[in-house]
Amino acid sequence: MDKAILYDSTLCTACRACQVACKQWNENEAVETTNQGSYENPSDLTPETWLKIEFREVERRGKVDWLFNRRACMHCTDAACVKVCPTDALRHHELGFVTYDKELCSGCGYCVDFCPFHVPRSDRNLITGMAKMDKCTFCTTPGLDRIAAGYEPACVKSCPTDALKYGDRSELLAEGKKRVEALQAEGYINAYLYGERELGGLHVMYVLKDSPEVYGLPVHPEVPAAAIAWQDVIQPLGWAVGGLTLIGLGLNYLVAREAKMTRDLPGGKKEESNARRG
Amino acid sequence: MQEEVEKYRKPTRILHWVHAGAFTLLFLTGLVLFIPPLGPLAQDGWTRLLHRIAAVVFVVAPLIYIPMNWKTTLKGIKEAFTWGVEDLGWLKAAPLYYFVCDEKAMPPQGHMNTGQKMWWFLVIAFGLLFVITGAIMWFAKTTAPPALLQWVVFIHDVAFIVTGLMFFVHIYMSVVHPLVRPLRSGAWSSMARGKVSVDYAKSHHGKWYEEITERRRTAAK
Repeated sequence: MDKAILYDSTLCTACRACQVACKQWNENEAVETTNQGSYENPSDLTPETWLKIEFREVERRGKVDWLFNRRACMHCTDAACVKVCPTDALRHHELGFVTYDKELCSGCGYCVDFCPFHVPRSDRNLITGMAKMDKCTFCTTPGLDRIAAGYEPACVKSCPTDALKYGDRSELLAEGKKRVEALQAEGYINAYLYGERELGGLHVMYVLKDSPEVYGLPVHPEVPAAAIAWQDVIQPLGWAVGGLTLIGLGLNYLVAREAKMTRDLPGGKKEESNARRG
Repeated sequence: MQEEVEKYRKPTRILHWVHAGAFTLLFLTGLVLFIPPLGPLAQDGWTRLLHRIAAVVFVVAPLIYIPMNWKTTLKGIKEAFTWGVEDLGWLKAAPLYYFVCDEKAMPPQGHMNTGQKMWWFLVIAFGLLFVITGAIMWFAKTTAPPALLQWVVFIHDVAFIVTGLMFFVHIYMSVVHPLVRPLRSGAWSSMARGKVSVDYAKSHHGKWYEEITERRRTAAK
């Protein structure tokens, strides 16, 4: 039974308690930032900031609408990061979301390049290439595993308006659909439940009162074609051709050695034997 | 001791072995990302550090060699890209030659046989591909658009598969195949000591042997 988080953007007051709780529980350091002219802070996800609330001002029916959106790992079912991670540091939890074991990370940065949501981040030494990725682990970081302990994720725990809920994905899906229908009845005709079907179903679903692009979310997120061409086509092909090549060389050796020995035997075809010796 | 002729000069041999060493290290440190059970070896990225050190050697070695030996380089490139009737003959004869050791089918080859010419083409083409895609991943990892980096990884991987396989074929053709032996006077010797026996030169590079004896004869006159 998959678990999930439901984020209702219409209930969110952008108090950012979730941001603080996330940092506090996961022992991520606070970063000093500068005022960007908005309550939104920090300005972007970083290796130390796995969750942040985005602030958007949208004009609607002649009024300014203040929209909030949660930025963190979406915990995809078809997760590009899991597909391209060469060390298995990124894996699917038995409850469906994408866990991360930092010790195993090689710092290749493939997940950073392939994530359709641009969530994983790393600090990289450009000379040595040394790097470690970081992202939301759904509070399953080894040693800090709230889920295994039977708790809800820290962000959910801290939310004062119940904009964040944790539970069975199927139940939250039904609840999300109900809320979207209610929003549509109120006149928000573009209201949308993000994550129901995107990338095989996300384990963080958003109730939005407008279409995803208004919130800066990709409308059709996809596992990049390069990831499929690479992992599902070229690598298996490489194994197959590689195996055949090695077998071919082995067979060639057996056949050629036999042919040469027969020829070189005394009483073998003399003419050829002479040719070889020049 | 049998009479010998020089096949490769010392600087060429040094370049070969330095490049071979760098390639082997690059191959092994890349392989750990290709075989999932070996993944933990890449943990913390120390294989990437080795990969980068080897990459520097891989790029710098020919950059030092070429200006110091530009005549040999030009000659080699010209040779590799000049194809004649004996190359057509090689392609036709290769299956019989390499499987049943039918040496009569093989027309006399020049200093480089056709297989070696194709190997040169592979090394130049894929070497450049590796260096370009590798440089992008090294220096533009945080600045290039993700879509570019995705296909760069893909191309690097394709080049890895192709050259990785040809690496085995190259080793096989130079030290294992029955026709390139014995080691002490054949292909291995040509790159290890620079010399091959006259017998080997005649039977494997007949056209080249003719050329050098002709040159020697002219010089003696």
